[in-house]
Amino acid sequence: MTATFEPRLTRSWDEPEAIGLDGYVRRGGYDALRAALGMTSEAIVETVKESGLRGRGGAGFPTGMKWGFVPRDTGKPTYVVVNYDESEPGTCNNRELVEREPHRLLEGTAIAALAIGCRTAFIYIRGEYLWQSIVLERAIREAYDAGFLGTGIAGSDTDLDVVLHRGAGAYICGEETALLNSLEGLRGQPRLRPPFPAVEGLYASPTVINNVETLMNVPDIITKGVGWFREMGTEKSPGTKLVTISGKVERPGNYEVPLGTPFRVVLEELAGGVLGGKQLKAWTPGGSSTPMLTAEHVDVGLDYESLAGAGSMLGTAAIMVMDETDCVVDAASRMIRFYAVESCGKCTPCREGGWWATRVMDRIEHGYGRDDDIPVMQDLGKNVLFRAFCALADGTASVINSSLKHFRDEYEEHVRLGACPLKVDHRPPVGASVGAAS
Amino acid sequence: MSTQPATQMVTLTIDGKEVTVPRGTLIIRAAEQLGIEIPRFCEHPYLSPAGACRQCYVEIEGQPKLVTSCTVQVAPGMIVRTQNTNETVEEAQVANLEFLLLNHPLDCPVCDRGGECPLQDQALSFGPGESRYRDAKRVYPKPIPLSPLVNLDRERCVLCTRCTRFCDEISGDRFLEMYDRGGWERVAIAAGEDFRSPFSGNTIQICPVGALTSETYRFAARPFDLSSADTVCPHCSAGCNLRVDVRRGEVVRHLARDNGDVNEAWNCDKGRFAYRFPDDPGRITTPLIRDRGLEPASFGEVLTWVAQRCRGARVGFLTGGRLMDEDYYALSKLARTVVGTNDLDHRRDEGSTAEEHAAAHPMAVTYDDVEHAKVILVVGLDAEQEVPILHLRLRKAVTHGARIVVVHPRRTRLHDVAEHVLCRPGEEPVLLDRARRGEGPLAGVLEELRSRGDEALVLAGPRLASGSGMAAASVWELATGLGARFQYVTRRANDRGALIAGVHPRLLPGGRPFDVAGARAEVEAIWGPIMTEGPGRTSRGILEAAAAGDLDVLFLIGVDPLTDHPDAALARRALDNVPVKVVQSLELGSLESFADAFLPAAAYAEKDGHLTTWEGRGQRIYPARPVQGISRPDWEIFAGLAAAMGGDLGFDTLEELHDEMGRLLAPTQATWERNVTTELAGSPEIPEGSVHLFTYPLLVDEGRLVERADELKLALGDPAFVELHTADASSFGVVDGAHAVVRTDAGEVELPVRVTDHIAPGAAFVPFNNPGLRASTLLSGSFDTIATIEAVATSDEGSRTEEVSA
Repeated sequence: MTATFEPRLTRSWDEPEAIGLDGYVRRGGYDALRAALGMTSEAIVETVKESGLRGRGGAGFPTGMKWGFVPRDTGKPTYVVVNYDESEPGTCNNRELVEREPHRLLEGTAIAALAIGCRTAFIYIRGEYLWQSIVLERAIREAYDAGFLGTGIAGSDTDLDVVLHRGAGAYICGEETALLNSLEGLRGQPRLRPPFPAVEGLYASPTVINNVETLMNVPDIITKGVGWFREMGTEKSPGTKLVTISGKVERPGNYEVPLGTPFRVVLEELAGGVLGGKQLKAWTPGGSSTPMLTAEHVDVGLDYESLAGAGSMLGTAAIMVMDETDCVVDAASRMIRFYAVESCGKCTPCREGGWWATRVMDRIEHGYGRDDDIPVMQDLGKNVLFRAFCALADGTASVINSSLKHFRDEYEEHVRLGACPLKVDHRPPVGASVGAAS
Repeated sequence: MSTQPATQMVTLTIDGKEVTVPRGTLIIRAAEQLGIEIPRFCEHPYLSPAGACRQCYVEIEGQPKLVTSCTVQVAPGMIVRTQNTNETVEEAQVANLEFLLLNHPLDCPVCDRGGECPLQDQALSFGPGESRYRDAKRVYPKPIPLSPLVNLDRERCVLCTRCTRFCDEISGDRFLEMYDRGGWERVAIAAGEDFRSPFSGNTIQICPVGALTSETYRFAARPFDLSSADTVCPHCSAGCNLRVDVRRGEVVRHLARDNGDVNEAWNCDKGRFAYRFPDDPGRITTPLIRDRGLEPASFGEVLTWVAQRCRGARVGFLTGGRLMDEDYYALSKLARTVVGTNDLDHRRDEGSTAEEHAAAHPMAVTYDDVEHAKVILVVGLDAEQEVPILHLRLRKAVTHGARIVVVHPRRTRLHDVAEHVLCRPGEEPVLLDRARRGEGPLAGVLEELRSRGDEALVLAGPRLASGSGMAAASVWELATGLGARFQYVTRRANDRGALIAGVHPRLLPGGRPFDVAGARAEVEAIWGPIMTEGPGRTSRGILEAAAAGDLDVLFLIGVDPLTDHPDAALARRALDNVPVKVVQSLELGSLESFADAFLPAAAYAEKDGHLTTWEGRGQRIYPARPVQGISRPDWEIFAGLAAAMGGDLGFDTLEELHDEMGRLLAPTQATWERNVTTELAGSPEIPEGSVHLFTYPLLVDEGRLVERADELKLALGDPAFVELHTADASSFGVVDGAHAVVRTDAGEVELPVRVTDHIAPGAAFVPFNNPGLRASTLLSGSFDTIATIEAVATSDEGSRTEEVSA
């Protein structure tokens, strides 16, 4: 692991002027684009491959390899699509990255465009990010005016247009093929793969879809080099990761850490520990769709491999912390409702599984659970996981499976008591005098 | 023992059995070849894979997750396990079915689909038996009428998207769409919109549950009440394979049967919903004879009466286009060998050499050829309205990359996939002739036709045979000159069969020209001597002869010249002046006051025989019920008449008839083309201030075969209208929606005007037989004529002005 930590993606966050073009350029902004313009597209792809940069959107696919898949001889245009549909519950790191330094995203996007010979790039931003879309619009206008976008970018003979497209508020549109459908004006539902987007993506043309944070790593890799990039993080997960921590912690927010940093460091050193000094009960490492972990996993490193070893995923690195007073059944119920509501409806296990699970969980939480509801939930988790058209339903299943795995007794307690045990606790015991001080 | 297959083959193992299939085959298809049935709902062989219902899980060895066999293609050496050999797969399928049934209503006992429902079948064969779902089911208002024909029950829907995919991919009529998401995703149609597609009924048939139901079949029968037969659609020449369902002797439903060579799995709404005509109250199933009035008589009596009048008389036969091959053959032989006349015709126009060529060359172009062609020139054909399933196949050709160019006076429903060159009716050959010299809008496509060899097709529609028939002949010559394959597309269900059987003044069976000695000798070798001399008269010639008193007996077999012939006045004079009119049909209709004898014919649902598609493909039909009353199949009536006249057609049974027919109609290598020179039909002159009026029948009109198909007419029928180009409309001073008087030499009519840019300037269109107009009353022998348009001032225009000023 790394000796001294130096912020990378967040290094200009203290400086408000970094939001504008001038401030960004003063800090070396767009140097990477100029450098990339002097490189062949193959060299750019090779550099990113060597850096070991992996997609920050959740799946962790090697970025350089993704770019390398794009065929260049199809006679069709190629497209870069930026996935800024950050919708995973608990996740807001892309939001702040763009709010504070929008040009870094444009620069990363431009370099990706050079790498695959793209002339038009699209940024798909979630509909609710109105302010962020205003920030980006302004940055795009500045970049056009300064010649970093448009005809002959940065004084070269290469053209690049960037189009900002606002979504209409659907979680599924963060799934890359649903995003492409939405971008084309179609219904936001995932597409069959193959053909993969790299071969037939936007408008049936070769397309690279990258997460915001992934692309914002690219300029530094070009200017500072592969060796520098690999100084932080682990061998298989190099670089840093912006972690969003929320829930029952003292200082929730976005923190940049080298990949592989143990959860304990983030929880205790950065976020100031569990709120009010209470006990850690459960946490999700990468948004609500990643299987929840418990206090016994507090020393697991935050990287792709370690979390997989612990039975979960890095996902979007959106950590949600629950303490001893939180009801896991209640939390799981809310998460499941989210996935049921956001299911696109296309396939059966996701649509009907989510529908069913929502109703059963509601009943259990509110004290109407029955003995056979827990086996039903167990079956539901099993029958939804890896059975749906896309990964959305795996989120539903992960919540069910992980909460049952670690907190089955809490479910049983709900059914046994006919009420939520944590809420029961707040009720005065029978015979005690109300309001008596201890 | 390796062969060299044209396509690359892949060998894989499913449930321990090896199977070799072409590369690109889906696992679910490969399993079918082994007889392994994998359950499915959203999968349909003619639709793109969706992977939505998730019922068809299988396990592929080496892959961590189950996959849907309807979306994954085979790979060499792949080892697949289905529910038969893998417990996880079986459990997953049962679990998925449980999901599908959560919100599905338990209304099978009242559901139209009950008894023939894939969901019910699968639930019964491997479903979980009891529901573990204890919460409230989804409810929706129901049924929602999507159109006068199709109802939607959203509670039953399993959201497989077969219906929406059909609309998107097959018909291109994108009325249905999925709406909302999650558990509330549902099939929807735009508010205020009707599912006005002539293919809408297919969505009912492919719905794997009872979510889409037919208005005409709703609550009409249970599957176990039905007796069914395989037949072929009696409407147009597309030749859709149908299943006809009969309940207690009444036809209650048509379903499309799968036939990959013809209609795939589809049919049009006319074929699906217009089935009540054989049970029309106007149907007559007893022979009639005019004594004091038209009175019932025995077949023997009527045939003897007719035979007496035919003996030594001048006789003409007019037929419609919807009898069977057997009927036409028997008639052809009756006329030539017993009655002794060549005055027989099934057409309504003068015909052309193109048609004669077609008669001798069945299957010159097939559906399959259309699907795989690279360039197709469609001339004078509105495929969607005239031969709807050909329209679907043309659309499919485009998805395979074909270029289609339509030359027609109106833009057709192929507008979204084909180029259109609009021209005035009759101008088509002129445009093509210019293109041959490298000029005009068609020069490019002609060049492509020339270079594509076998993959270049020219399809000529029936409208081109109108008038002199020169247009069709010119197009045929042009196609032949380019080396492209040519097909003359007939319209009615068995026009082509009539042509092949020789119900034609110049042709004997098999397209053998009457006036070519060798051809004639071949027929005589089987028939014995043919009594007639010289070519006979066309339908127009027959009617003219009748009108002039040159005919003693006129047979009207499945035809009503008052409506059908493009000269209503001539037809009327003919009926007035011929002494004996013999009608052979299902009913009398407007011929009631003219008929001297009526011979009741069997309807398609009662017949055993063949219909021939536009391609020239003969297809067998089987009776779904006994003949009604004492009606008989037409060929039996002809045989009876021959006997009554002292002759003998030589067959008493269908088998004997088939034997003989087979010998004359088997494809021959010989070509009997006569040396006829075609003159290029000139572009017709239109006097100043006039338009070139043309007409053809629209799919749903007032034809006798759509009698009582009220829902169909409500859904797709239109009152008559006249369609004008914007420029012409403004020069005549008429606006869209206003009324105008259309005046021709033959008559005049007041019609609402449709103003559009999608018709050639100088042309005006009226439908042939829609409510408010029998276009035959405007015509003088050809399906096009010169007309004037005169605006009619409407009273509400005045009131509108008042409103504005107020």
